[in-house]
Amino acid sequence: MGIVSPLGIGVEETLTSIKQARCCLKPLQMFSTPQAPLAVGEVDLTDSSGGMPRTHLLAMKAATEAMGQAAGPPDAVIIGVTTGGMTLTEELLKKKEKDSRCYNLHSTSTVAEIVARRFGCKGPVLALSTACASGLAALKVAAEMLRAGHARRVLAGGADALCRLTYYGFHSLQLVDPTGARPFDRMRRGMTVGEGAAMLMLTAADEPPPGTLAEYLGGGLSCDAYHPAAPHPEGEGALRAMTVALDDAGIRPEEIDYLHLHGTGTADNDQAEARAIEHLFGEKSMPFLSSLKGAHGHALAGAGAMGAVISILAVQYGLMPANVGFSAQDPLLIPVPLGRPQTARVKKVCVHAFGFGGNNAVLAFGEPDGHRDSRPVAASAITRQPYFYVHGRSCLSAAGDIEQTMAQLKEGKSVRGIVPDTDILKPLDNRAVRRMKRLSRMVLSLAFSACRNEAARAAPRAIFFGTGWGSLSETYDFISKLFASGERFTSPTDFIGSVHNAPAGHAAIHFGATGPNVTITGGQGTFEQALYCASLLKQDGPVLLVGADEYHKTLSPLLDVSPSAQAPPGDGGAALYMSSQSSGAICRVNACFAVLADAESACIPAMISSLGGGAGIRERFGLVLAGLPPAEREEAEIQMASFLALTAFTQPVVDYRRLLGDFASTSAVAAVLAVYMVETGQIPAAFCGNDFVGLEGKGILILGFGRHVTALEVSPW
Amino acid sequence: MNELIEELKVKIIDSLNLIDVSPADMDVNAQLVGGDLGLDSIDVLELVMMLEKDYGVIIDTKELGIEVFASIAALANHVFHHRTETND
Repeated sequence: MGIVSPLGIGVEETLTSIKQARCCLKPLQMFSTPQAPLAVGEVDLTDSSGGMPRTHLLAMKAATEAMGQAAGPPDAVIIGVTTGGMTLTEELLKKKEKDSRCYNLHSTSTVAEIVARRFGCKGPVLALSTACASGLAALKVAAEMLRAGHARRVLAGGADALCRLTYYGFHSLQLVDPTGARPFDRMRRGMTVGEGAAMLMLTAADEPPPGTLAEYLGGGLSCDAYHPAAPHPEGEGALRAMTVALDDAGIRPEEIDYLHLHGTGTADNDQAEARAIEHLFGEKSMPFLSSLKGAHGHALAGAGAMGAVISILAVQYGLMPANVGFSAQDPLLIPVPLGRPQTARVKKVCVHAFGFGGNNAVLAFGEPDGHRDSRPVAASAITRQPYFYVHGRSCLSAAGDIEQTMAQLKEGKSVRGIVPDTDILKPLDNRAVRRMKRLSRMVLSLAFSACRNEAARAAPRAIFFGTGWGSLSETYDFISKLFASGERFTSPTDFIGSVHNAPAGHAAIHFGATGPNVTITGGQGTFEQALYCASLLKQDGPVLLVGADEYHKTLSPLLDVSPSAQAPPGDGGAALYMSSQSSGAICRVNACFAVLADAESACIPAMISSLGGGAGIRERFGLVLAGLPPAEREEAEIQMASFLALTAFTQPVVDYRRLLGDFASTSAVAAVLAVYMVETGQIPAAFCGNDFVGLEGKGILILGFGRHVTALEVSPW
Repeated sequence: MNELIEELKVKIIDSLNLIDVSPADMDVNAQLVGGDLGLDSIDVLELVMMLEKDYGVIIDTKELGIEVFASIAALANHVFHHRTETND
């Protein structure tokens, strides 16, 4: 494992800081502020070079340490991240930099990509953005990937850097203690914004390999579905994640020796967490517990992963950290954290991460003694089935909703462009969405339309959202208001709305969806990755899958190279209401393949093999929809030529971006239209002309080429 | 004071995006938060930011917030007595 935080660079320095119960918070130095700088957790990064934004730098440092003794590249890389290249992007926007090449590392997915490329990973590369739970969520997804047998070694963790967005953003919510967080303390006044990164190499094996530090036992994800910025007061969502984690691990609460708190130091978060802990453990079985956010601050996506590393150090060294910043018990909080470091044998630990939008993640680790996976076989069998049955679908394009989109395509016309506001608002109550801007409205609109017929029967329990760029309107408005006022004022609403998982959070609140709530960013492979994540985290109950991106007239031309001179601006999205229930289903979908392309295009044979080989592809699919992003055209065309040569596929292959638009999640629209086409058997003239004989009972294959190579199948049922 | 009340009504509508509400609809004595307008804690934070930016009025405790945001009349009264030079 690897860790870089205000406690130090690397595991050794971190251990020293823990032993000394050192407080490493100090007033902000990274950038100047009009008022006195607040206490933050800032990493001592002497070499902020390499041309990389700060988050990428932190991630690379932690990954390098984690990969230290590793033999060979990881099979997959999964990183939780919320800030992406924001630290650099803010500076560029302040200077009004117009060259889009400067912004090429803005997207959160580039953090995962840069780590993957550095270590030669040729498999899936995912970036998760579920606010403060991102780091633990990434580890949970990694573990499920290993359990499903899709990989043997996965590098996973979280990273976030300090930036003006988070520094001023949390301050605008009046959640920050200017002098430093005091988690669980009677006089606590708020959190401390921080930064950091931690990465873990997870390996699947029958026996612990030599050098094993700990064993992953289980994990749980949940959503409060309560409020965009405040936790459920009784910690219900947190309790759910804790219960699921322990069930998943097959262990009882009394077996936990140490609990690493989320413990941000805000009045509400600590209280909610304390309630949840009290409910689960009761006063008799309370483990030792502590938060280190009073020592290193809240590193957002880095936090959970850092907590995992620190908890594993507790197992390794029998050393439980002190809750730095805690001095007097709050009589309203039953659990009392450690006042000083405690040495004792630590066999099993639990780590908490509870984020904005009510996203909760809890993981359990233990001594590497070959704890047997005690989950019943039947449960595992369900999760191994990768595909979902589709029961509802919706889309938004420049033509309008799915019926309007299909109608226009039937006339042979393209539907690319900007989705009209009126079409987005059609299913929505204006009042209810007054605080939401474009992307959140699109997502809610898509969600309502996809679930329309099913909502009466069963609202979705889990939500997976793929977006390449997140909420650009709120991000831009927050930053521009901030700079316009000389960094003195900004909008709390815009801050809350700017986080990538805000739209999915709104959907969760509306549907009361308390299961896993995960937002993924992955360039042009975003939607496929979101579907893949959904299949890894499959549970009982229906699932809402959404892919959407908004076009922003200032930010999109800077951040997204695709809508350049070659392609006009476009946005849109689509959604699927899916489940494991086959009866009444429209069709089946499966994300068969999603990797970062390698230079030699060796991933194409692997992709073909995952689809059943050339013969299998010719037999099962009557049409291929291919996504070739203009900015990655050259690479994409070579890959596609390789695909066609190797499979001898002779049915039509349609370049769908010409028809549907160029934005990160265009494949969502392609997939949902494919669902419509498989359902009705109608292929609009815009796709294949008027002479196409039809699918003849076969399915449609959606392929992505370029930097991300993906395959998604839509099959009849 | 009336001028200030009308000014505040417009600012509330603008900063909270209350698109279907007009100043004439707003009852100055009605409960501002948790009332008919459907305002919650996030809206309060937005108004707090507006008050500091446009009037130099600082609301930094929960107790003060409850008092000041009880109604538009209460808000206007507080701003009237505590405003400092506005900054652009």
